[in-house]
Amino acid sequence: MLLDAKNVSMHFGNFRAVADADLTLEEGEIIGLIGPNGAGKSTFFNCLAGEMIPTKGKIVFAGTDLTRAAPEAHARAGIGRTFQVPITFTDMTVLHNVMVGAFLRHPHRNDARDHARRIVELTGLRADQPARSLGTPGRKRLEIARVLATDPRLLLLDESLAGLTPSELREAIALVRRIHETGVTIVIVEHIMEVIMTLTKRVLVFNQGHVIAAGTPEQVVKEDSVIEAYLGRAHRRRPPATPPPHAGEG
Amino acid sequence: MKFISTSRLTIFLLAAALLFYPLVLSGPFYLDVGVTFLLAAISASAWNIVGGYAGQVSVGHSMFFGLGAYMPLLVYTQWGWPPIAGIPIGILLAVGMAVVIGTPTFRLTGHYFSMATIAVAELIRISVGTWDFLGAAIGLQGPATGRGWWDLTFRGELPYYYIFLAVLGLVLFTTAAIERRRFGYYLSAIKASERAARSLGVPVRQTKLQALALSAAFTAIAGSLYVTKTGFIDPDSGFGILISVQMVIVAALGGAGTLFGPLLGALILIPLQTATNTWFGGGGSGLTYILYGGIIVVIARFEPGGLFELWHRLAPRLRKRAHAA
Repeated sequence: MLLDAKNVSMHFGNFRAVADADLTLEEGEIIGLIGPNGAGKSTFFNCLAGEMIPTKGKIVFAGTDLTRAAPEAHARAGIGRTFQVPITFTDMTVLHNVMVGAFLRHPHRNDARDHARRIVELTGLRADQPARSLGTPGRKRLEIARVLATDPRLLLLDESLAGLTPSELREAIALVRRIHETGVTIVIVEHIMEVIMTLTKRVLVFNQGHVIAAGTPEQVVKEDSVIEAYLGRAHRRRPPATPPPHAGEG
Repeated sequence: MKFISTSRLTIFLLAAALLFYPLVLSGPFYLDVGVTFLLAAISASAWNIVGGYAGQVSVGHSMFFGLGAYMPLLVYTQWGWPPIAGIPIGILLAVGMAVVIGTPTFRLTGHYFSMATIAVAELIRISVGTWDFLGAAIGLQGPATGRGWWDLTFRGELPYYYIFLAVLGLVLFTTAAIERRRFGYYLSAIKASERAARSLGVPVRQTKLQALALSAAFTAIAGSLYVTKTGFIDPDSGFGILISVQMVIVAALGGAGTLFGPLLGALILIPLQTATNTWFGGGGSGLTYILYGGIIVVIARFEPGGLFELWHRLAPRLRKRAHAA
């Protein structure tokens, strides 16, 4: 088992953003975290990345307890993450951005540069482009390249594919596939169901801090609790025989 | 390729100009301006390591400068040692101080960090001003005439000029080496975003502390150099806030976080400051504050990146115009 998160809870005062969430991952898996806005996905994600220390619970990664470890310790242990809103080092070139990540395993500049060049190539970026001149899709791609340069065993993608055009999305999905094929375990937080359906074999659905469903994407989208969480009680258990009222209008 | 060769040429010309300056513009006045310029460039370059590259704007670097300035004269007045023996003590104390001050204040970011450094520096200045062991408000006096070369008291300013120049070379060489190493990349990443840097495994606190310690060591050397030249120190000229502010302004004017930014800043500010002091005499000493304040406003409003960035923006346009003509 690569990751074992047990009973992870995160409270902000009286508000329980995450309540007793469990997640176990085997090496080489690719799973999705979905749920409506404010469901606790991001908070849970931040606990896994070490940015928040959970109020309760335990997170063990590759045999090491990382529950209370700092984000940089997570990176060293092999957990990489991207940010929902990309944080680009705008004063540097693309290559230098990626080199900052590469330095983690390659302390010498020439080694780090060689490693970073390989990653830049893999992700289809241009090494000498100033990072400032990248648009959102480019920055999201750079975000992935930079963390990939730290050689993570587990990659946490926080809506890295949101806000892309359909063709950019296809490219991004292909990129995530390529990364997965190199043996990296991946957790994706995503709103776009297309991404989840095409990439993941298993999903966890969050609602109001709780994991309300888990299973394959096909199973999960049929579950009542999931439909209710997304669409409200009215859409639950509609008898399949009756056609929806005012069909064709919406 | 062409860019590299032109920048090499610039460095070569700059080094030559600094080497031959005292021979071309001789006389005590020009020499004094030269020495003052070098000292400002050294201090600002030292500040630049943590303030420019790491983006941790300290406005309390006078605490390190003052330690470096006080120690040589303290060991002389207390125990009759040659002042030069106080230099390593000053450096060690400054590094220790950097660790003690940096550990709590680096939990703060942005303006809060700057304000904390001001507060600590002022606290030290006031304490030193009441401490008899350090000469209290009157300060400390060095040897009037040297007992040997080791007292570093020269009749003319020429030897100081070349000693200062060598130290400036050392600081710039070190900074250039940092730029090329992992440490330098980590500093830039921290400056851009500590959050992103940490997510990539950058040990942020440790890296900032190392930068501050190195910066403090060089700033202490600057203080020691200052005092070997003047042979006198008091709380204001060692720990005064103007010392800290000058480092910030010189670096920011030229371009904080660039190798030659502090040098360029000193090249502009020091002659300007000397001119106002000469024109208005002793009555114009308050003018330095006005000058500094004015420069802060202008930089902050129009060119936060300093003159180097302005040049980088303008140079391509000027070149295009030259081609068109």
